[in-house]
Amino acid sequence: MKNSEKVRIPQSVRLFFRSLAGAAGGLALGLLICRVAGESPGKVLSVLVNSSFGSGYDFGMTLFYTAYFILAGLAVAIPFKSGLFNIGGEGQLTIGALAAAWAGVVGAGIQSHTLAILFATASAFVAGGLWGAIPGYLKARRGSHEVITTIMMNFIAAGVTSYFTLYSLKDPDSSQAETIPIPEAFQLKPFALFNGAPMGELIIALAVMTVVLHVIMRNSVWGYRLKATGENESAASTFGIPAPASWLSSMFVAGGIAGLTGLVEVLGNSHRFKIGFSADYGFVGIAVALVARGNILGILPSAFLFGVLQKGAGSLDLETDKVTRDLTYIIQGLIILGVASDGLWDWFAGFWRRRNA
Amino acid sequence: MMNAIEFRKVTKRFGGFTANRDLSFSVKKGSIHGLIGENGAGKSTAMKVLFGIHPADSGEILIENRPVRIANPVHAMRLGIGMVHQHFMLAGPETVLDNIILGHEPGRMFVGRARAEAELTAIAKTYGLDFDRWDRPVSELSVGEQQRVEILKLLYQKSQVLILDEPTAVLTPQEVKDLFGNLVKLKEEGKTIILISHKLKEVLGYCDEITVIRRGETVGSRSASETDESELARMMVGREVSFTYQGDRKVFANAGDMKPVMRVERLSIASSTEPLRDVSFDLKPGEILGVAGVQGNGQSTLLRALSHPARHGRSWSGEYLLNGRSHSDSDPIALRNAGVGLVPEDRLTEGLLLNQDMTENFLLGQHEDPRYSKNGFLLRAKARAVTESKIKEFDIRPPHPTVWTGRMSGGNQQKLVIARALDPGPSVLYVAHPTRGVDVGAIEKIHDAIIQERNRGKAILLFSSELDELIDLCDRMLVFYNGMVRAQFTRSEFDPWAIGRVMGGGDR
Repeated sequence: MKNSEKVRIPQSVRLFFRSLAGAAGGLALGLLICRVAGESPGKVLSVLVNSSFGSGYDFGMTLFYTAYFILAGLAVAIPFKSGLFNIGGEGQLTIGALAAAWAGVVGAGIQSHTLAILFATASAFVAGGLWGAIPGYLKARRGSHEVITTIMMNFIAAGVTSYFTLYSLKDPDSSQAETIPIPEAFQLKPFALFNGAPMGELIIALAVMTVVLHVIMRNSVWGYRLKATGENESAASTFGIPAPASWLSSMFVAGGIAGLTGLVEVLGNSHRFKIGFSADYGFVGIAVALVARGNILGILPSAFLFGVLQKGAGSLDLETDKVTRDLTYIIQGLIILGVASDGLWDWFAGFWRRRNA
Repeated sequence: MMNAIEFRKVTKRFGGFTANRDLSFSVKKGSIHGLIGENGAGKSTAMKVLFGIHPADSGEILIENRPVRIANPVHAMRLGIGMVHQHFMLAGPETVLDNIILGHEPGRMFVGRARAEAELTAIAKTYGLDFDRWDRPVSELSVGEQQRVEILKLLYQKSQVLILDEPTAVLTPQEVKDLFGNLVKLKEEGKTIILISHKLKEVLGYCDEITVIRRGETVGSRSASETDESELARMMVGREVSFTYQGDRKVFANAGDMKPVMRVERLSIASSTEPLRDVSFDLKPGEILGVAGVQGNGQSTLLRALSHPARHGRSWSGEYLLNGRSHSDSDPIALRNAGVGLVPEDRLTEGLLLNQDMTENFLLGQHEDPRYSKNGFLLRAKARAVTESKIKEFDIRPPHPTVWTGRMSGGNQQKLVIARALDPGPSVLYVAHPTRGVDVGAIEKIHDAIIQERNRGKAILLFSSELDELIDLCDRMLVFYNGMVRAQFTRSEFDPWAIGRVMGGGDR
């Protein structure tokens, strides 16, 4: 390199710090609102931090929520590369969770732990994937807008899972709307470190999976095809990358990854499928992907941030007088706003230049 | 003679970019004034400042020697300035009359169509514009007629100064002649016309005075009778430019006996907008076969068919052979493997990923080539190295493979698209509009690359809307009309008037 060339910070690193600053700005605004509501921002912040990091169990729970958000965030970020906006994460993850519970019921005879986990994983991935592929197919074949179809698929998923939970997989010994519990071999053991917080080894597996996905999206021919379709559908197809293939495959993979929620929820947590287990994780995934700016690796810190807020939400109800968990939703919203108001940065930069001109 | 318009040190900035810097020139009342310059030189910005779309940052504009501040286009129109945009601003399904009077209806309560029609008929008569189809929908008119409607609209609005932005880009040579005939009549009736163009022949032929802009600054104004093509080109580009291909045009002695590498037999494509009817021709190594025609007569459909047959399904009939093998249902990847290189019609919508860098764009269509991918993963370092060597070979600027193509100039984008098409060493090249929206400097380089490929024995099918370009480069030419090959010309028979007649549906 020539001496005259300035040391250049890679675009991705710069964007990461921009996002971080945006998130911090959003958080600061949120705390300002606490102030208006009559609660000390310091108190709110300490409750949030304590609740998420205060003990091994608390941190374990934070990671548990993070796991949901990693999956839901990826389910949005991957189709986004091919130019699709997947609002159907919620439906895809409930179908995947149901499939994991179903695997535990029909595979009750499986003794090997590894085999059981593999069977459940495959079921959850394929079921979620097919659910995601349906809007992908409709888009490819008929041009139906994916935002509309994925939203509708969420409602259908809710109906389908209710039916199976209440009629064919119903636990006869329970008064709740839940399926028959899965056998020992299917259950995932939590880390001792986290004092009984659910779902142990998975969080590492999910982090590794995200990194692998990042490499695939960046360097594989498949990732290139998705990107080309997302960037310029007509140029891509002129040069031999048909959009339908990109749409169908990205929606299948996205749905499959959302479906892996079955591992977190069914194998790692409640060991059965419960109606309504998801606190709109699929929708929060949209926010996770937005804050990550659609960057696959960025999903990890972004999901963690949302994990912290999710974990802290419950404690705000109990430990403060004037604010409730709703505040965390306000903060979530402000963080998204902070990150999304990217244009502000350029505006600030321009303002600074003009002042110093 | 009074100046209709005068620019005095007009400067217009967009952020850090200066589009016009101290631009000064004057346009005499009752003259045709040419405004020329390369793409991005600032011609359009200057006219948008005049038309009130962008306010000037400094300097002043005088209309009939009085300084004015033009606030917006409505204000400009009231001051008697009218503009015919490159892409017409007409509502297709509405009648000619309604399009013309839109915003200037004569009546208060009612539209007053009868009055408007009477007035328009009088205007058309005064200015010798042969037109009386007021009740036809605009979409039924030819491009030339639509342009006349735009001009009538300005006359109806009593514009004194008419700005025409690249008016001849979409016209046949005959229509161009009619247009200029009309413009001369308008001039004789006292109107002032500003013509934005990059076609030097036209401005030299019809303008009284010509102002050249380069990089946002006035290079100078010349009277048309005292200048010539090479001086204007030098002023535009800042150096000597040649207009006709100067290099070695090797003659393929046995080109006539060579076996064609590509053949199309009775190819028809059903399409509601631009069908192709029973087209047959062949293409031999070492020749450039031109495809001429007024836009919309089947050339686009032909290119799409040849570059992506698989997409056409049942609308396809006929045979498409490359080296004797049928490719009637191949996709672009298969065609590329069969030795086809493609420069698509519109590089922005069909050729490039604008938010990606040069390397990523270089990979488009080559992403499955064993040279650039292995086991489903891209060999990006390799692709980048090759991109770097292409940047040198084709003098693409800025010379960094990490630059987003969306931030490059049209000429450099096109050089990248051509470099990519040539990379696999194709035996057949489909090249469409290689110099559309490309600056004069890059045109030479691109023409040179095309001729070089021909001299190396490549078979080239060249689509262009610039008849001059086809005449300059081709060995043979097919003229399309209404989805069919209406005539074929060989190089010795090239005559713009004969070709133009066929383009318009006449006989040679």
